[in-house]
Amino acid sequence: MSYLPYVIAAYCVFAIVLGWDYVAPRLQVRQQLRAAKLRVMRRQDTIPRDLEAPLTRE
Amino acid sequence: MMMSAARALLARDLRMLWRRRGDALQPALFALLVVVLFALALGAEPQALAKVAPAVLWLAVLLAGLLALDTLFRGDAEDGSLEQWMLAPVPLWWLVLVRTFMHWASSALPLLVATPFLGELLHLPHDQLPVLLASLALGTPLLSLIGAVVAALTVGMRRSGILVALLALPLYVPVLVFGAGSVAAWAQGLDSTGALLLLGAGLVVALVLAPLAAAAAIRIALS
Amino acid sequence: MNPVVRWFHQLGSPPYFDRFASRWAPWAYVLGLLMMAWGLYGALFVVPADYQQGDSFRILYIHVPSAWMSMAIFALMALYSAIALIWRIKLCEILAMACAPAGAAFTLITLLTGSIWGKPMWGTWWDWDPRLTTELILLFLYLGVIGLYNAIDDRRAAARAAGLLAIVGVALLPVIHYSVTWWNSLHQGQTISLFGKSHMDASMLPPLWWMVAGTHVWFVGSLLSRARADNLRRESGKDWVARLAGATQ
Repeated sequence: MSYLPYVIAAYCVFAIVLGWDYVAPRLQVRQQLRAAKLRVMRRQDTIPRDLEAPLTRE
Repeated sequence: MMMSAARALLARDLRMLWRRRGDALQPALFALLVVVLFALALGAEPQALAKVAPAVLWLAVLLAGLLALDTLFRGDAEDGSLEQWMLAPVPLWWLVLVRTFMHWASSALPLLVATPFLGELLHLPHDQLPVLLASLALGTPLLSLIGAVVAALTVGMRRSGILVALLALPLYVPVLVFGAGSVAAWAQGLDSTGALLLLGAGLVVALVLAPLAAAAAIRIALS
Repeated sequence: MNPVVRWFHQLGSPPYFDRFASRWAPWAYVLGLLMMAWGLYGALFVVPADYQQGDSFRILYIHVPSAWMSMAIFALMALYSAIALIWRIKLCEILAMACAPAGAAFTLITLLTGSIWGKPMWGTWWDWDPRLTTELILLFLYLGVIGLYNAIDDRRAAARAAGLLAIVGVALLPVIHYSVTWWNSLHQGQTISLFGKSHMDASMLPPLWWMVAGTHVWFVGSLLSRARADNLRRESGKDWVARLAGATQ
């Protein structure tokens, strides 16, 4: 019988799972860094810039 | 000191158990339901049921014990008594051991008493009953001790039911294998004392190590 | 101070570890990949077909190293956890938890390739072979550790709880394996092990060693990479993370 499909399937499983193992932490790192950047930007937005200027809606 | 603490804890647990004595029957009722469900799913043919009876009974007792695990520490975790345990002058592992014993006595002993009756429902061959009871008598305390470690790891977590089951069941595998396997060996005409002795040995080891691990887990969970 | 000891202490500093991990993880991945590629090339094209199992036994070159990795990583995870619990070293908590996903991945590969190998051999996709059954329970243990780590909010308590579970698991794993082997012999009468000790000719071994080495080196890369991610998550409020993210104040 031809074992080729089985061998291919097994090697594909190996490649896919290890590929996920490579990609997942990279995505996590990128997500953490983006979250940190957003946090800093949000904090900067709440810092009052000019304390003397009147609070106004115009 | 340790004996008086044990006596106090046992007395308190017995009093709490007496106030809600209906609850003590719930594990046995659950096991009965599991047996009923298996019989309904498998079909009522006596030979087929008799063949799987020891395994089904073992599973019914194991699953009932797993559900009962939730009450092991939950009450004390919720009202703050668990933190008092950590501050007590007696070792935490001792209190855990006493509590686990009380929990086993209140949840597993009714199951053991119910087993012959449940066996009749599944047409369990009568010569297998003694081995089954022996394996359960050795296995259920072992399950309680392993379960105590898992319960301690998840104490204080809301809605931890499925997680407790997922954590505990792989650790239950050896107990189930030797417990149900001892009856299966007996049914095949082989000697079952080996498996029973292994369960006994496991119980002795667990009596020493499980309370220590559970105490460490409680300290981690409440830190 | 001894430079090696000083380096250990420096690793405990989160920014230093982040620099270390981000620098060395890619090298580990690349080197591991090259070693595995060499091993797989040998497995596919150099080694002759087995006279009994034909070409399907080439799956062994993936199945066996993955099985060994799944066990070794669990032991390493338990070791890191023990160090973390006894000496309260934060880095070891991170490293222990970073082991788990890679270990689960290798366990999954072992199970799937075992099943795929079994189909032409046994005719079924699954057989309750003692070793495959133990691998399945090992997968559950890994998932339990990962699940418990994710279920607790406080990262340090979560790592310690999951680490304790890993230690309990590693202590019970030989018992589980023994019990499943006994169970198998009880219910089948005779231990027919599918992946039995096939006496491999010496000429067939070198690709296996390349694969074993390659998976180990790859794992180092995976460990460093995931540890870096967890480290960043734990330190997420700190200034050095903000600076690393490119946000200037």
